[in-house]
Amino acid sequence: MKNRLKLLRVERNWTQEQLGQALGVSRQAVNALETEKHDPSLDLAYRIAALFARPVEEVFENPHG
Amino acid sequence: MLSLSKQQHTPASRQYVIRTMAFMSGYVAVNVAAIFGAFDDIQGKPAAWLLAAVVAAPVAGQIWATLCFMRDSDEFVRAVTAKQFIVSAGAAMALFSAWGFAEAYAGAPHAQGWLIYPLFWAIFGCVAPLVRSSN
Repeated sequence: MKNRLKLLRVERNWTQEQLGQALGVSRQAVNALETEKHDPSLDLAYRIAALFARPVEEVFENPHG
Repeated sequence: MLSLSKQQHTPASRQYVIRTMAFMSGYVAVNVAAIFGAFDDIQGKPAAWLLAAVVAAPVAGQIWATLCFMRDSDEFVRAVTAKQFIVSAGAAMALFSAWGFAEAYAGAPHAQGWLIYPLFWAIFGCVAPLVRSSN
């Protein structure tokens, strides 16, 4: 799933490790999300959106929209 | 599970490695003892059934360790682990099924049933580095 996760993370000067800790997931999970190797669950997508204080669709491109 | 060299060492992965080594050691110990004839005297006796259960216990333990690892990991690691396990188990079963028919109809040499476990791990070792996506 296309997303702006890496952009948002880099804007804040966070490492994948730091973002993973903030979200409660592994660094590999963050890397997989950024490289589109993992489509997040609804729960994780909302957690990410809340962390960056953005609507989900500003972080993840709606593939059906 | 994800190949350990590239994996972040979470408490779940550390626990998984410890449990895996413990169960593998048990499995290997029983098999090495069998190779060196430690159980030759119980052939055909009821104790042989107990031995069969003993060698199966570490295999069941390993499944438990994998399920614990998945339970304690995040959704990506859980999904990739499941995918790696399914591909490896499917390939091992397919190969062993084919071999069984090859034995029956093509004169292939007999392979003992317990070989499916090391076969599964050999395949897992090849598959794990290739399966890195949950999609």
